[in-house]
Amino acid sequence: MDFEFTEDQVMLRGLVREFLSEQCPVSHVRAMMEHPRGYDRDLYRRLVQLGMLPFPEKYGGAGLGMIEQAIVLEEMGRIPYPGPYFATVILAGGAIMASGDSRAQMRYLPAICNGDLAMSLAFLEDGISWGPDAIGLSMAREGESYRLDGIKRFVPFGQSVDDILVVARSGGGRGAEGISLVAVPADAPGLVIEPEVMMDLTSKTATLRFEGVRVPAENRVGPEGGAWPAVEVALRQAAVGASAEMLGAARKALEMSVDYAKVRKQFGQYIGQFQAIKHKLAEMLELVENAHAAVYYAAWALDAGAPDAALAASVAKSTVNVAARRVCGDAIQVHGGIGFTWEYDLHLYFKRAKHLEPLYGDTEYHRERVLQEALAGRVAGSA
Amino acid sequence: MDLSYTLEDQAFRQWVRAWLAENVPRHKLTTMEEKKAWHRKLYDAGFIGMGLPREYGGRDARPMEQAIVGEEMVRAKAPPPLNGLGIAIVIPTLIHHGTEQQKRRFIHKLLTAEELWCQLYSEPNAGSDLASLQCRADLDGDEFVINGQKIWTSGAHEADWGLLLARTDRSAPKHQGISCILVDMHTPGIEVRTLKQISGSEEFCEVFFTDVRVPRENLVGELNGGWRIAQTTLSYERGGNTLSRYARLLQQVTRLLDVCRVLQRDGRPAIEDPVVRQKLGQIYAEMEVLRYASLRILSRLERGLRPGPESSLAKLHYSELDKRVQELILDILGPYGQQVGGIPDELALEPGAAYGEAGSWMYAFLWSRAGTIYAGSSEIQKNIIGERVLGLPKEVRADRVAAQVAGAASGDGAD
Ligand SMILES: Cc1cc2nc3c(=O)[nH]c(=O)nc-3n(C[C@H](O)[C@H](O)[C@H](O)COP(=O)(O)OP(=O)(O)OC[C@H]3O[C@@H](n4cnc5c(N)ncnc54)[C@H](O)[C@@H]3O)c2cc1C
Ligand SMILES: Cc1cc2nc3c(=O)[nH]c(=O)nc-3n(C[C@H](O)[C@H](O)[C@H](O)COP(=O)(O)OP(=O)(O)OC[C@H]3O[C@@H](n4cnc5c(N)ncnc54)[C@H](O)[C@@H]3O)c2cc1C
Repeated sequence: MDFEFTEDQVMLRGLVREFLSEQCPVSHVRAMMEHPRGYDRDLYRRLVQLGMLPFPEKYGGAGLGMIEQAIVLEEMGRIPYPGPYFATVILAGGAIMASGDSRAQMRYLPAICNGDLAMSLAFLEDGISWGPDAIGLSMAREGESYRLDGIKRFVPFGQSVDDILVVARSGGGRGAEGISLVAVPADAPGLVIEPEVMMDLTSKTATLRFEGVRVPAENRVGPEGGAWPAVEVALRQAAVGASAEMLGAARKALEMSVDYAKVRKQFGQYIGQFQAIKHKLAEMLELVENAHAAVYYAAWALDAGAPDAALAASVAKSTVNVAARRVCGDAIQVHGGIGFTWEYDLHLYFKRAKHLEPLYGDTEYHRERVLQEALAGRVAGSA
Repeated sequence: MDLSYTLEDQAFRQWVRAWLAENVPRHKLTTMEEKKAWHRKLYDAGFIGMGLPREYGGRDARPMEQAIVGEEMVRAKAPPPLNGLGIAIVIPTLIHHGTEQQKRRFIHKLLTAEELWCQLYSEPNAGSDLASLQCRADLDGDEFVINGQKIWTSGAHEADWGLLLARTDRSAPKHQGISCILVDMHTPGIEVRTLKQISGSEEFCEVFFTDVRVPRENLVGELNGGWRIAQTTLSYERGGNTLSRYARLLQQVTRLLDVCRVLQRDGRPAIEDPVVRQKLGQIYAEMEVLRYASLRILSRLERGLRPGPESSLAKLHYSELDKRVQELILDILGPYGQQVGGIPDELALEPGAAYGEAGSWMYAFLWSRAGTIYAGSSEIQKNIIGERVLGLPKEVRADRVAAQVAGAASGDGAD
């Protein structure tokens, strides 16, 4: 057993950190907050071309695992990177991989790997729910095409990606029965895309209204009516990926707070000398280190196909949700007035972490999942 | 002990409610003229500074009557009056420490909002440690010459006057060289720059003073006696009217309950979800305790007791409570709680609120992060409670050690 990163993993982190700190300075992040697309296409292309994608080499990927994705996403959380990497690679790409549909993989993954194709996954509708019952958007076969009607909300970068992988319901059915995946080009007639404005302006999202949208039948990904297992895998990876990103944001907020506590003086001493601050920072570190353990355990478990992979993913998301909220919130407190200003960067991390908190399952959802897995005996060593 | 409202209070409440029903503007007030006109109407109705003696434009109202007005205003969704900080701190300062002439010159115009005020206390290097402030006011004949910088000054960009703390004796120990001065914000040499907050709004400012000349008669109290004055006013700022904070939260939570009947969680209205119900129950219980605690403070005020260090307990309570409650609200609303643009009207706190504007769940959430920082951070409040309420020995602190070494008495600092 070895909980330390391999040399390659350390190099990967260094590569991503260097790339992002050079190519994506905070001035760029702030520019993208005001930008309707929310990201720079050229930067995005160069980012995916760094050679760190999880997809098989035959599609142009690097064949890396979830541990590597967690490393990459943690780095992105530290920026926080504005762009559809998560949407394309973890959500859409993850579902396409998990679908086992080699035709669809051939069609989409090479374009994703060379940066030509940015995608997203449309899951949530009006209600908040992360199970298959959330899906009501209807997908009906009409000759050689499908007709889509319904609504999707909070679609990550839904206003500025090329194709949207839509989780839809075909042929009635309930629960996991009848869930299908279909790729819809953003410019499809009948698709109305309304940009949303979220607290985290670096995370663009959109409401998508499907009013008789028609797409060729070949755009379906995975079996008709049988795509839920692939969606579930993608959501589980997303929960771990989001946790990694939140961990990055939280650790960055902690580092800024520790640095600040060492230079800010009040009452003739560094504020870090006050136990109120020192203890707060110590607790923040405890939360961050435990979040690290939870994220990378889960990432490893997914890669290893461990019996407790689902359990670990939900442990990670529920733990990091709580940790990131506390750490980023306390970071503002430690900074005092300056932490409440727009010009100071702390709120960028606070808001990114908060943005991801309810997505891909909130704390209560994942605690429930943890319990279900434990009760079912799918725990460590149960294989 | 009897916690029911007296018949007199009940009748007063009915009267206030009726007045508000008739007079609250139906559209959003946008321009300063509109806001001032509404404020003036409230003033004429006797709702502004109502606890003040009649000679200063008040009506000698009891604290309970003030609280009732505050509560009813929130209930009626009345736009808030202007000059909140001025009324809370400048007026008590002037009444306790100002000259007759200052009282006559300033109080009426402040109450009517003909003149808007700001609080020029914090500096880049003097926040919690307010007494270390460096902004200078040097006497030159019968004028002060002010040089230095203030920061986080709420409303400075709209203010006509500022209540300034400045250093008037640089050789004295830090608490003993500070004076309290009234500054006309239109004086040459004052530059105000707004700062944007994490909420996206611009309410606080940096204020730069370069050779700003202020007549000596604008000094409040004694020269170098400013610290004691600041101490009294800070306790007013902290004590505040916690009942109207309760009312504001209640308004938000009432809306939340409506939203929970519409919002679907896991295929049913959120209001039927046991987890959501637990959180709503917690929010409600916390709010009720805030109301009870506020009533307890009120009843002490009714008996004529002044807010003392105990006001730190109230401040710590409501500011930390607000953070907890706003987190719970966002938990319940999921991504909708963070959505501003494109949120369905039936799920919004106030439909149509934009980023950086009051009226969204997000805005209330973000502002809850400020409450534990301004008017003395939670850490500072805990120090005050520990040392001045519980009587614990003081923390060893570098500035106190330095003061002891210098042979000077360690002041009882802003902590
Ligand atoms: C069940 C039990 C088993 C133990 N077993 C052993 C043993 O096997 N061998 C052994 O040698 N000892 C043992 N101890 C003793 C233990 O190590 C001491 O109780 C401990 O070090 C605290 O010391 P104290 O009780 O004198 O409390 P104090 O040191 O007086 O502490 C009182 C309070 O002040 C706080 N405090 C003290 N200093 C600071 C500071 N600098 N900053 C902030 N807060 C501070 C403490 O956290 C505590 O809350 C045991 C104690 C218990 C309760
Ligand atoms: C929204 C907002 C509006 C404001 N409006 C005004 C205004 O109108 N006028 C005005 O004058 N000021 C205003 N302020 C300023 C406010 O009073 C200060 O921000 C506050 O006093 C804290 O000072 P600081 O920001 O310099 O933080 P610091 O004092 O640097 O504090 C940083 C951290 O150190 C902690 N700390 C400091 N000293 C101690 C100690 N002894 N023990 C333990 N912990 C300690 C603090 O609690 C905090 O967590 C406003 C602030 C905000 C956020």
